[in-house]
Amino acid sequence: MARGELSRSLRQALEALRSFSRPQCHRIARYPPRSFRSSTTRCMSTSVPRRAELVDETPEKFAAAPPIDFAQEDGKGSGNGAGAGKPVGKKTLRTLRVVPASPSYFSAKPTFTDDFINLCALLRKVATLPTVPPSEAPKVAWKTVDQYRIMTNEPVKTQRFHKMIHILRRLNCIHPSLIPDEVVQAMQRYKKPNQPGDIKPNPGVIDELGRAKGVGQRKTSSAVAWVVEGEGEVLVNGKSLAQFFGRLHDRESAVWALKATQRLDKYNVWALTTGGGVTGQAEALTLAVAKALLVHEPALKPALRRAGCITRDPRKVERKKPGHVKARKMPTWVKR
Amino acid sequence: MIVRSVALRHGRHAIASNFLSRRFLASQVDSIEAAAENSIKQLQSLETQLNSGVPIPEPSAEPDLFSRSSTVAEQYQLFKQQQKLTQTLGSDISAHYKPHTLLSNPPSPADVTLELLLAAEAHQGHATSLWNPANARYIHGVRQGIHIISLDVTAAHLRRASKVVQEVSKRGGIVLFVGTRDGQDTAVVRAAQLAKGYHLFERWIPGSITNGQQILGKCATKVMNEKDEVVPGFDEQLYERPVLKPDLVVCVNPMENYVLLHECALNNIPTIGVIDTNADPTWVTYPIPANDDSLRCIQVIAGVLGRAGEAGQKQRLELAEKGQITYRPAQGLVAPGEDDLTTASPEVNQEIREKVFHDTESIVDADELSDKIDADANHEGDGRRIRVTS
Repeated sequence: MARGELSRSLRQALEALRSFSRPQCHRIARYPPRSFRSSTTRCMSTSVPRRAELVDETPEKFAAAPPIDFAQEDGKGSGNGAGAGKPVGKKTLRTLRVVPASPSYFSAKPTFTDDFINLCALLRKVATLPTVPPSEAPKVAWKTVDQYRIMTNEPVKTQRFHKMIHILRRLNCIHPSLIPDEVVQAMQRYKKPNQPGDIKPNPGVIDELGRAKGVGQRKTSSAVAWVVEGEGEVLVNGKSLAQFFGRLHDRESAVWALKATQRLDKYNVWALTTGGGVTGQAEALTLAVAKALLVHEPALKPALRRAGCITRDPRKVERKKPGHVKARKMPTWVKR
Repeated sequence: MIVRSVALRHGRHAIASNFLSRRFLASQVDSIEAAAENSIKQLQSLETQLNSGVPIPEPSAEPDLFSRSSTVAEQYQLFKQQQKLTQTLGSDISAHYKPHTLLSNPPSPADVTLELLLAAEAHQGHATSLWNPANARYIHGVRQGIHIISLDVTAAHLRRASKVVQEVSKRGGIVLFVGTRDGQDTAVVRAAQLAKGYHLFERWIPGSITNGQQILGKCATKVMNEKDEVVPGFDEQLYERPVLKPDLVVCVNPMENYVLLHECALNNIPTIGVIDTNADPTWVTYPIPANDDSLRCIQVIAGVLGRAGEAGQKQRLELAEKGQITYRPAQGLVAPGEDDLTTASPEVNQEIREKVFHDTESIVDADELSDKIDADANHEGDGRRIRVTS
């Protein structure tokens, strides 16, 4: 009896569900069942569909060109070249045809496509040669995409250009002692004309009296310092350090390079400074003495960089601008 | 370290059974047994050495093979030498599938067999619910919920398509191979290389045929003679010539290249396409029912068509050697550097007549011959002059 009641209540519940109008059911019912033909005309390719394909769900019907009639082609084509059109004068002209210069003609970027194919083929050929990690590979400045576009005069996509640069970087990682000539020649086309390391500054020299020269600038001051091994004497514009720089901070900063490396008693400094003010001249001297010291001891570079003597301070007095009182100061804001 | 007497317990039987379980010729069995004996003896000697604690002398091939003192180049050279010596050692597995051979040495149309197509998975269609009923004639049946394409039908269509490619190549036509999916680029480039045709593996720019001047106008063209030699001096004339269209398009993924096939249809360019069970066969002139999702199948089909093109090109060049030209020459080309020629001298006229008579091109009748002589005499060089036709 309980079972019967349960089944009855179940039936009642089902009927109630059926009668209850759910909006989802109506929505489904409103759309007609998809016809067999329309489902097959939709593109069902397995590759990632692009937006254009998804939007255009039913492409326009067309019929492909009819099959080629080779017999007709033979009748029209070979043999007498001068047909109904303009006749040609000489025998050689009758043998000529116009063809695309590159097999990548129909890509609209034939030069880039050919370059890409050649680089891929080259990489496949030399893939087994030993390589160095990318950080140890020679530093190369590759052409930018804009420079490449100017070179080829083609609408090259940035992403595809970067894929090509990726291949070039991999080719560059081949061990320098084993890199074939053809790879070097192939890479040259994609390098900028000026490479980092092309211009090497002349190394500083120590003359016959043991002096090394260094030049430094700060604001509008410039300083020249000659550093020679000695006892620790310093002369600036003919005066001693204490005489020239009244401020202790300036005295310290002038020979900061020697102080930071604890070589105050090992070198003598003879310096000339011009321009600017006292502190500017002191800071200029910092740079000059550091550069001269580097000529004596190049291994001190990391230490001097940490001490802050290597970088030329680029700050200078900012110019006054129209509409401002000074470089940044503006006149008082007035409501009306 | 004490090595348990594996050799004593299992060695002879294990090694012998391992060898004899493979199929070998009867003449080799004796040598295998001898080899098994040798290896057991080696194992036993190794065991005794290890158990006795005697240091085993390491085999030293070269003293400085991997030492830090030799440079990378020297080490690499030594490695290559070693490789040359040792690469022939080991068992020889012959007649197995090497994927790179489909690209480096593709099969020709004569090598197309049902076994090749089956191995390349050309028979695998899509799920039955996704089919295009127009492809019913190509479908053999259903298995595991997908349609199976009849491979004999595939082979027949592939042979027909390769004949078309061969004939178009023989007639000096522009054959364009298109394959825009990932991984199809190498197959398409190789096919174009063999057939001396053209390739496309990036997206087809819509309008390259219908609006060719805008899209392909800047791409370079050249003038070639019947022996495939570039003839210089036509740069200015080429600049003014219309953009080239393909004479035949081979598309290995027509589902993604609807626009290309539509443009070809509008311009009466015949197309060949790999038609899967869900593709529309009316999109192409010469369908090849096969699996377009399998790279191996595409490599086989592209390879076969490339080889067909290669055969056609060879035929064309052989005919060119004999002096026969199989294509329609370009119209409107003027000999470079002869724009100012006004009237031809009598010697030149005589030369032209001699050339006409010695021409190996077929001349049908006397009327054509006289037309030819008149044409040569009147219209030498300057195409800008207005012609007076009789």
